[in-house]
Amino acid sequence: MPHQCTNCGQTFADGSKEMLSGCPDCGGNKFQFRPAGASDSPPPEAGGDTDGDAESTRPDPGESAARRTEPPQPDTDSSDHARSGGSVGSTGSSQPSSDTEDGAQASARTDVVSPDELAAAAEPTGPASEPSEDPPDDGTAQSDEESADPNLDALRQKLNDQFESIRIVSPGKYELNLMELYDREEYIISLREDGRYVIEMPEGWDDR
Amino acid sequence: MGLLTNLRDSITRVTDRLFADDEPKRIGIYGPPNAGKTTLANRIARDWTGDAVGPESHIPHETRRARRKENVQIERNGKTVTIDIVDTPGVTTKVDYKEFLDHDMEKDDAVKRSREATEGVAEAMHWLREDVDGVIYVLDSSTDPFTQVNTMLIGIIESQDLPVLIFANKVDLDDADVKRISDAFPQHETVPLSALEGDNMDEVYEKIAEYFG
Repeated sequence: MPHQCTNCGQTFADGSKEMLSGCPDCGGNKFQFRPAGASDSPPPEAGGDTDGDAESTRPDPGESAARRTEPPQPDTDSSDHARSGGSVGSTGSSQPSSDTEDGAQASARTDVVSPDELAAAAEPTGPASEPSEDPPDDGTAQSDEESADPNLDALRQKLNDQFESIRIVSPGKYELNLMELYDREEYIISLREDGRYVIEMPEGWDDR
Repeated sequence: MGLLTNLRDSITRVTDRLFADDEPKRIGIYGPPNAGKTTLANRIARDWTGDAVGPESHIPHETRRARRKENVQIERNGKTVTIDIVDTPGVTTKVDYKEFLDHDMEKDDAVKRSREATEGVAEAMHWLREDVDGVIYVLDSSTDPFTQVNTMLIGIIESQDLPVLIFANKVDLDDADVKRISDAFPQHETVPLSALEGDNMDEVYEKIAEYFG
């Protein structure tokens, strides 16, 4: 009985089609998967609305904690069930409550990635390789490939105003400040996708 | 390890100065991507040493690390000049993996190539500052030479007082225009050639011996 309604505890065999349109007993639309070996772990107590006729796996609280860190555990009869978020109480109805997650989902999600990690992973798409204190505006950065400026000093100043040596626009897309690359003593020898880079320190660093 | 490397480099540099007349000149082959730098380097190396320098490709940024071919002895008019050829990655201000997708490359490979090409440009600019005694600047005769990259690199080379030759490559193409290149850099000598076809290589070697000998 791998699938179990988190609302009323009704269980369904693996591959069952009954649950595809919601629990036929209570209308609940959240289920947790229980491997065959875990079939004796407790379903949450039915909220009193219905009790399934196939209640062979009535809750057995003593064993529940060992199986799962956050099993959905109904606390009172008045509330249909408790969720890890604890903020939604409309679960007895057939309305999906997509803004919350139950214990099984939360448990599954902890192995994937945290929101913090997601936010951190998104950062390298911005200007990251260098402390580019002054990212170029698109006008100057994009259009100057073809417009040769014979005045080297003006060109140098223009480029220096844009960014430091290498700007990661997005993964696989770079803009390079050639003059800065030429001028700087240290030598960038390896870029990393996360915006870090490896440099070779110049000799005679202490002399300067 | 870095300390030892630096120490070794320092010693190398000092001995280079002491025996400057005996040491081969390091000639950097510079230019934008796909100008034919590696084809030229291979042509020179094959003509005088029998070996190639590196793989050539029509896909931009095939060369992503500077490659050196040492002790290339070129004989001209009874005189022998010995140079080290440094084939450098094409210099550009923008690298975008999307341009590689047109060459039947998977996205992951294209992104990797893009990153390596960017590292290569950084390396090429570093070599220009530290390690070359002269420059062969290679341009594709069929493209417009008036670009920011060309202007900037020629300007840097001039500011270092490095001897430089402009090579107008790919004259075998129908739309090649050598005059457009010589007009763009009138202060330097422009040598037309086709490194791929081997056209005008005699003049190429004469000029190399004259400028870098």
